[in-house]
Amino acid sequence: MARDWQPDFEQLVDEHQSMVFSLALRMTGDRGLAEEIAQDVFLELDRHLGKIESPLHALHWLRRVAMSRSADALRRRKVRGMDLWVEMQDGYGANVEQRSSPLGSRLESLLTTLPEPQRAALVLRYQEDLTPEEIAATLEAPLATVKSNLQRGLKLLRAKAESNLKDFIRVPTPELRSS
Amino acid sequence: MEFESQNDLERDDFERELQQAFLRRPAPPSLKRKLMQQRSRQRTERLHLRKVVWERLAACLVLAALVGGGFQWHQREERRKGEAARQQVFTALRITNRALNQVRAQLAERDRDRQE
Repeated sequence: MARDWQPDFEQLVDEHQSMVFSLALRMTGDRGLAEEIAQDVFLELDRHLGKIESPLHALHWLRRVAMSRSADALRRRKVRGMDLWVEMQDGYGANVEQRSSPLGSRLESLLTTLPEPQRAALVLRYQEDLTPEEIAATLEAPLATVKSNLQRGLKLLRAKAESNLKDFIRVPTPELRSS
Repeated sequence: MEFESQNDLERDDFERELQQAFLRRPAPPSLKRKLMQQRSRQRTERLHLRKVVWERLAACLVLAALVGGGFQWHQREERRKGEAARQQVFTALRITNRALNQVRAQLAERDRDRQE
């Protein structure tokens, strides 16, 4: 069957590098590692380019592989006994380019303290704006597990925000943005 | 999606903040450059590897053809030698047969002379 769409690797990189890098960064908390993961993901895409059928397929494929590679990297780090989150909390702030608000940046830091499955579900939900069904498909996990991770992750994050960000959490959002 | 929360307004604000906090970050400007360099390097390596594989395959085929041809030539040579030996045996048998016939004829002639 002939395909109308022919994948253009460079164009796919331009379109999706921010998404892949952000997913890897939020999952690992390490800019260098996130960059490595993004490179690996795109190089793997290059090897599988013939199997990519549409722009949407490319997007889903990149999301799935980025999450999977990030999880692998986290597991490898865990095996080696390194604490990524210390690195993220110490060095992350210095490199961050575009913070939405002080609360936003703190929420992002708090995200790094969540367990990996909950973090993955929340990143896909709030960065990629995916539905639980789409998250389940991306993570290749049961829908019930994803829903539970979303619920627990959000609850945990909210609790952490309430205890750590008392100065911010009760302040209405519009005032925050103007400050 | 239903999440446990104290009230809807707070949940919405909190989730909105999360969405703001989790906006996609721009990738480092060096990412694409490094990626394209690595891709080009990997492609070159893959091409080189493919070339080496084809060269080795071709060498194997030539070697197999040489071994096969040699084996066939050897077999044909053996058959030819066998056939030549067979022909020699037949010739020897024919000569022997002729000599025996001559001896038998001479003996028969001598017997006849003695009886006369």
